[in-house]
Amino acid sequence: MAERTPERLTRLLGMVAYLDRHQGVTVEQMAGHFGVPPAQILRDVDTLWMSGTPGYWPHDLIDFDSASLEHGVLRLTESRGMSRALRLGAREAVSLVAALRALRESVGEALDAEQRAVLTSTLDALVSVTGEAAGTVDVQLSVGGVPEAVAQVRTALVGRRRLRLRYVDAADTVSEREVDPWQLVTGDERSYLQAWCHEARGERLFRLDRILEARALQEPVTRAAGSRRDTTVFQPEAEHERVVLELDGRARWVAEQLPVDELTELADGGFRIVLPVASPAWLQHLLLRVAGYVRAVEPAALAGQVAAVARRALAAYDEDPSGGSTSAPDGPG
Amino acid sequence: MPAQIPPAERLLNLVIALVNTTGRMTKEQIRTSVAGYDPSGSTEAFERMFERDKDTLRELGVPVLTVTDQTHGDDQGYRIDPDAYALPPMELTSAQLGVLALAAEFWHDQSLQADAARALTKLRAVGATPTATDAVAALAPRVHPAGPALVPLLDAAQDRRVVSFTYRAASTGEVRRRTVEPWRLIASRGGWYLVGRDRDRAAPRVFRLSRITGSVTTSGGPDAFTVPPDADPNALLLSSQTTQGRVARLAVATDRAGALRARATSVVGESTPDARTDVPAGMDVLEVSYTVTGDLAEEVFGYADAVVVLGPPALREDVVRRLRVAAALVDLAPTPPAGGSDG
Repeated sequence: MAERTPERLTRLLGMVAYLDRHQGVTVEQMAGHFGVPPAQILRDVDTLWMSGTPGYWPHDLIDFDSASLEHGVLRLTESRGMSRALRLGAREAVSLVAALRALRESVGEALDAEQRAVLTSTLDALVSVTGEAAGTVDVQLSVGGVPEAVAQVRTALVGRRRLRLRYVDAADTVSEREVDPWQLVTGDERSYLQAWCHEARGERLFRLDRILEARALQEPVTRAAGSRRDTTVFQPEAEHERVVLELDGRARWVAEQLPVDELTELADGGFRIVLPVASPAWLQHLLLRVAGYVRAVEPAALAGQVAAVARRALAAYDEDPSGGSTSAPDGPG
Repeated sequence: MPAQIPPAERLLNLVIALVNTTGRMTKEQIRTSVAGYDPSGSTEAFERMFERDKDTLRELGVPVLTVTDQTHGDDQGYRIDPDAYALPPMELTSAQLGVLALAAEFWHDQSLQADAARALTKLRAVGATPTATDAVAALAPRVHPAGPALVPLLDAAQDRRVVSFTYRAASTGEVRRRTVEPWRLIASRGGWYLVGRDRDRAAPRVFRLSRITGSVTTSGGPDAFTVPPDADPNALLLSSQTTQGRVARLAVATDRAGALRARATSVVGESTPDARTDVPAGMDVLEVSYTVTGDLAEEVFGYADAVVVLGPPALREDVVRRLRVAAALVDLAPTPPAGGSDG
């Protein structure tokens, strides 16, 4: 995909300012530093040394030492007065400061002293050059979870040690497992531990607030971390079943918060969605929650099943509270 | 016709020219001498391109200054003052750049992603050459997407401009135009919120960004209001989300509702001697603290008969009311969409 003009211009100016401070940087280092492929750095260098002040005679142009460049080393010999770095715009400053503040508030405790110092000094440095511009955005990350368990997860992450978990999944099933913790995915709604699960022999995400108990073990982590991916939301896949729900407008949050495949607005403020189903237990929970706003469901029989579940629950309430026995349910309908 | 040079290169040459000029450059000088402008093109085309380029540079924090020289009549010239765009002196270690890269990743797939990435590029210019250190491995912060309303609201809040937008109220479903002094944008518990003063109601209000429909418009100039010094947007949001902390007593079937058990402040099992007689057999009694009755009721009643609320009564009534609604559900298939679909 073609890079946008402002992004490329910002990097071109940034490269000149950077090379003015650091003589003799390899193309690979430059690529790593600016987060672009080496070929792009070479294209940028080509652009830079054809740019300069009007006239565009050799002495007007930004220039590099060509002998060094032949060996893949960038040595700036003329910056044409472009050695100053660009200041941050208000939105740019806000985006980084808000993120750093949120990090410090939520996971500062998970870091060791050195990491915490780096985070704090970065925030201080940024605020010192951007002023108070950052007060207009505030991101509150939610770590959640049992404090003792979260502390153990942090210990294991910092020490790169294996972790033993007692965990309850969305279908309300408790399991015990040993995992190699990789990273803490901290979101504004809830947080997850991304880890290699030795029981499942696969990468798994564990919601922090569903970890019942955790204990950092002595064994070191043996599985390397997988690639980062956006894990804050349920990732629907082709094999998940779909349901169709037609809901009253007051259940708007369903369309806002769940990964719907299709959303059709209806004339009266209601809407119809096609929803991938994470698990039957999850769907039952959802249908109970939106029952008052449900106008139609497909498959239609789901509505009746949910109603039956609700009637069984009501029976548990209507019984004499001291009467003792709540008859065990016959299992999910 | 010479191959057209890419806009980034034209802008680069424009910046270098306007930084190095002694005094100023007129439009005519820019048009005829700066690489990337077409000296033989129409004046209108040049004007349009030059105005766009000035806008782009202003967006990047490089203001093009207009200089009127008395001795040249009313003919305007332009220059760029490096002091106006320069980042104050600072140095960043490679570990600090690592933290900043993590912070930029925060806005993954978001409207602020481009801004954060650009800020990072700018800061890399004053950073140390990277080493292998990764100060903050094992952290991956993420925030929910805010949608298209965030950027215009943020810009307006920065400049203290009044905004208006069409808003769908959650409680009533009522849709109407709101005029608001935007104070602060807050991401919390999976949603993005605007806290500000609703001009029509003359009172502070909390708006959920996802309920804003259509575009946000600004009216009037900057500095149109001041945020009251005693205003506490975070507290306003919190009070719109919660009331006071309370404790629920829940009877929970053995081995069920693990998520509630994880949060329980006390668990009394079947085998535990318990003077209370309201504990159903075969169930444990948990105490769980909560703030919003509706939130906990919604979570609890999702477990159906695996969790029975013992108290407080308001929570119990809320759950029973929700269960009655669900019990009344009857099978009803959706009417087929207009396009027709066969199942």
